[in-house]
Amino acid sequence: MFLLDAPITGRRQVARGMFVIGMQAPEIASTVRAGQFVNLGWSAGPLLRRPFSVYRSDGVHIEVVLKAVGEGTRQLLAMDVGEHISCLGPLGHGFEFGAGTRTAVLISGGLGVAPMPLAARDARQAGARVTWVHGARTAVELCSETEGDEILWATDDGSEGARGTAVAASPDAELVLACGPNRMLAAVAERWPEAQVAVETYMGCGTGVCLGCAVPLQRGGYDRACREGPVYRAADIDWGALPSHLAYAVTA
Amino acid sequence: MTPDMSVEVGALQLRGPVLAASGTFGYGTEVPLLERRALGAMVSKGIFLRPREGTAPPRIAETPSGMLNAIGLQGPGADALVRDYAPKWAGWDFPVLVNINAESASEYGELAARLDGVPGIAGFEINISCPNVEQGGLYFGNDPRAAAAVTEAVRGRTKLPVWVKLTPMVSDIGVIARAVESAGADALCAINTFVGMSIDLNSYGPRLSFRTGGLSGPAIRPLAVHLAHQAARAVHIPVIGIGGISSAEDALEFLVAGCTAVQVGTATFVNPKAIAEVHDGVAAFLEAKGFSSLAHLPRYLPRD
Repeated sequence: MFLLDAPITGRRQVARGMFVIGMQAPEIASTVRAGQFVNLGWSAGPLLRRPFSVYRSDGVHIEVVLKAVGEGTRQLLAMDVGEHISCLGPLGHGFEFGAGTRTAVLISGGLGVAPMPLAARDARQAGARVTWVHGARTAVELCSETEGDEILWATDDGSEGARGTAVAASPDAELVLACGPNRMLAAVAERWPEAQVAVETYMGCGTGVCLGCAVPLQRGGYDRACREGPVYRAADIDWGALPSHLAYAVTA
Repeated sequence: MTPDMSVEVGALQLRGPVLAASGTFGYGTEVPLLERRALGAMVSKGIFLRPREGTAPPRIAETPSGMLNAIGLQGPGADALVRDYAPKWAGWDFPVLVNINAESASEYGELAARLDGVPGIAGFEINISCPNVEQGGLYFGNDPRAAAAVTEAVRGRTKLPVWVKLTPMVSDIGVIARAVESAGADALCAINTFVGMSIDLNSYGPRLSFRTGGLSGPAIRPLAVHLAHQAARAVHIPVIGIGGISSAEDALEFLVAGCTAVQVGTATFVNPKAIAEVHDGVAAFLEAKGFSSLAHLPRYLPRD
């Protein structure tokens, strides 16, 4: 875990209202695993840091993907190249890639693309053929960047790819990884109880101290999205007790 | 020359006036980045005698310059605390006090007795902002007799320092402060979080599943300085100021207003190095003003 003052190195649009911000954070970039996140703070920002899955890393820079969902993300998107972001990470427990996995499917909804480029990289390194199924409401909201051997699209209105959800459009695979709204992940859990899913929760410290990011478990009790999560075995979560609609989240 | 930052809180000698507030530093073992070099003392996450699951999510909501939390004192219980954490604390170079919680005065006493004498535990901070189950759920901290009864119950079971953390949700904090002083408290911690509420305009209901939560952060600081000052005027035992401290200047306000030490809480969530920075900033202020010791800092504490 590192606390870095990271200069912004770039910004680009990848879908309507969806942007990627890059920053120079070598210690984090060289150690981050797929599914882990960073907790970002900036001067004149909101009181609490904001958690973001790491989208890409080249060993020196990391990228995060975001939409302007609130005042905090609007401020982040208004910052210029060269300005600094306080970057705490890498945090949390990422995806696990068993050796010998032949097929992997990555399912993302909306901003759930966030951990998928790194997940695709690591799944391919583990020897898997990677299918990425990406869903959004409409074609213009689909992320224009993809990774993998096969890309499938799904839109609610049928304007691109299959009409319907990304979960419905997904083939089966030995390894299923998913990230998106919690309602989507609950559907993943019904179809693939062994899937690994990255959940979204409100978060306070991001380091395991405040216990604000409680995730209700099937076996009873709670643990911490920031520490034991944000990636869980789908069947382990009590989906009925996990809030489904958040204004900002791990993936936002 | 580096000024002398040591303070005395009752019988406890602390190397510095900046302490970690309960619930914001965990058990001190979670985060390698949390700097311990400048810590005067740590108050551990609040504990009950038995394990507690905590409340359903959402548990936190950010508000302007503050946050609401309703964690529900999730914790492993006294036995696990003694087994898993106290042995680590025993080797540290600053004291660790345990924030204790219960549903009746006798249970507070039982918890203190369970933890008394355990190596690594240097004292207790009583959280009296708990509902008194035997009295229909009224909060101990709102009633001077109940607050005193809890203090006496703990005082009677330990010779270790006993601090009492006061709630701001009272009409006269001086009355409660005097009651727990008379009941044997060694120091007061002022204040705990304010009870607050925030509404979600999508669901037309509370943002927290518990409905209400404790408000902390810079939003409460002027309120906290006032209440800590009022408590300090009312008693002759040390008062430890708490509430929205994130900089050295914030801490100095509490110290000048009559506090012996301070606790830093929510700021640690934002900046894992906050306590060290506050400590260093207070030392730099004293040096710049020509004070060789924190004891020489002028205080504003007219007596009632």
